[in-house]
Amino acid sequence: MTEPLIRLQGIQKYYGDYHALRGVDLDIRAGEFFSLLGPSGCGKTTLLRVIAGFEGVTEGTVMIGGTDMTRLSPNRRPTNMVFQSYAIFPHLTVAQNVGFGLRKRSDLNRQAKDTLVDDALDMVGLDGYGKRAAHALSGGQRQRVALARALVLRPKVLLLDEPLSALDRKMREQMQVELIRLQRQVGITFILVTHDQEEALVMSDRIAVMFEGEIAQLAEAEALYRRPVSRRVAEFIGVMNFLPATVDGDVVDAAGLGKMVVQDLQSTATTAGDPMVGFRPETATLLFPGQQTEGRVAEGRVVEVVYYGDMTYYDVTLDGAEKPVRISMRNVFGRPVLDIGTQARLAWSPGAITLFR
Amino acid sequence: MDQETKRGLTLIAPPLLYALALLAGPLLAIFLFSFWTQDYLTIDRTPTLANYAEALTDPIYRTIMLRSLWISGAVTIATVVLAFPVAYYVSFRVAPSRKSLWLFLITIPFWTSYLLRIFLWKVILGYNGVINSLLEPINPWIVALGQRLGLEWDGLAAPLYSPEAVIITLSHAFAPFAILPIFVALEKIDRNLLEAARDLGENAVTTFFRVTLPLAMPGVVAALLIVFIPTVGDYVTPALVGGPNGLMIANMIQTQFLGLNNAPMGATLAVVAMVLVTIIALATVALARRLSGGR
Repeated sequence: MTEPLIRLQGIQKYYGDYHALRGVDLDIRAGEFFSLLGPSGCGKTTLLRVIAGFEGVTEGTVMIGGTDMTRLSPNRRPTNMVFQSYAIFPHLTVAQNVGFGLRKRSDLNRQAKDTLVDDALDMVGLDGYGKRAAHALSGGQRQRVALARALVLRPKVLLLDEPLSALDRKMREQMQVELIRLQRQVGITFILVTHDQEEALVMSDRIAVMFEGEIAQLAEAEALYRRPVSRRVAEFIGVMNFLPATVDGDVVDAAGLGKMVVQDLQSTATTAGDPMVGFRPETATLLFPGQQTEGRVAEGRVVEVVYYGDMTYYDVTLDGAEKPVRISMRNVFGRPVLDIGTQARLAWSPGAITLFR
Repeated sequence: MDQETKRGLTLIAPPLLYALALLAGPLLAIFLFSFWTQDYLTIDRTPTLANYAEALTDPIYRTIMLRSLWISGAVTIATVVLAFPVAYYVSFRVAPSRKSLWLFLITIPFWTSYLLRIFLWKVILGYNGVINSLLEPINPWIVALGQRLGLEWDGLAAPLYSPEAVIITLSHAFAPFAILPIFVALEKIDRNLLEAARDLGENAVTTFFRVTLPLAMPGVVAALLIVFIPTVGDYVTPALVGGPNGLMIANMIQTQFLGLNNAPMGATLAVVAMVLVTIIALATVALARRLSGGR
């Protein structure tokens, strides 16, 4: 494999007594869309700021493009950042903001710089906004200016610190798609910090899940969703149903589901507590009266129905289990929605089950 | 007149009356007086511009007026230039929990009377004062150095009873007035903006000139005005440490009113000073607006 664009080795960071980063090792490849995902306070923003050069490290090295940049200040790194608050200079126009970092480019004359600024504004869909005062922009527009301002410098790495968290839902979904498109268009490595697992799954090639200053799992989106390495990761990413289980050699006996063999399961993961099996809501199916299946079936009672239009969520308490599991069903035409209290059969497969032990 | 308007008027009535009686009234009186003339012991109430003609042409008035302006200008620049680093330090370097302590300490000079502080400067700058006693042992060296270089030097001496003494004393007295508005402007700067500038390739120094200073300009302009406007009319400091060459327009106004018993001329000088200060203040604001991109 080729040399990674960014290589973090043994990054330790203390704020006084507080241990913010506990030995992070991470390789990020050139051209990938990478996400740092975790709850607030997990150290993901600190790690991003370490890459940008805003935070020093207590221990460890930061290599960018094969060069040790651990002690380099932000202005001397080939990275640019889109701040959570966007940090648009209020005393400058949109064009002056976007052209801010071009001042030092002595190889470009004024006209060439203006062209670059116009192109950058064009790229983020703000053509013609150059002369506007920056303080008169809406949130979404500020975000685009921040993106243009960073991308106009053609950095090796674009760092995005929760860039979508201040936008409303619709705007956020639109920007997600646009960011993916931009990243493919410019081919620059994007590193996104987010606490929103859905955003990370939608946008990233690879995701590093962080808890308490450590990387808990580093994987591609699908692998992360389907094969979480620990119960904590499984709970953080999407919804997972957990059922208590006992393990005897290769045989797992799960409440409500019955016995299964470890070798048939999708994956095994760790947990700090008692053994559990887990499955995602969409991997099991509620059977309707008269419907047949060749797979395994569990019996239970519908205790809650939440209708979403295209989907219906059912909470089903399986016979022999205490807590209900959540099942999501696509509302196919012609299939009735089950009522609360209905006795139902659940078709499931060991191939979709993860064992936590 | 509806209920709300009535209540509003009732609420502002006391301060309005107060302002009219104690501010607008006297101002109007000064303005009226400036168009009258003193005829020995009586006042001639025929309106005339004679006082204004004299105020603008007589070299004495012109010299003192110009001196007031340049002394105030020097005080303003010295104060703001010295205040900026202090405000910057408190805003950017002092831990947030200690900022109010620092602001509190900056107001220490106000704990004692203005007059006392001027007298302290007399002690520092005086003939047998602190600075001169310190200079005494090194002055022979300086004189000798002057002779070596073929220059006629008398050695160094503290500048009591001179415009310089006025500048030093006033700069010290007005320092907190300059520090506070600049501090407030610096506090309002989003620290992410400074990081963004660093991220976009600027070093610490260029970040200061491209981001920090432009964003602090409202505070700097406020400081310039807050120092300049009252110092033009300052009266006590030039009287006590200025000496004959350090007298300012307020001293002349006082002399006209009390010493020469020429209230109309004093009133005219006051109006002229007020108009000049207004023009300079407006010009400063306009210039600052233009420099900061017309916000």
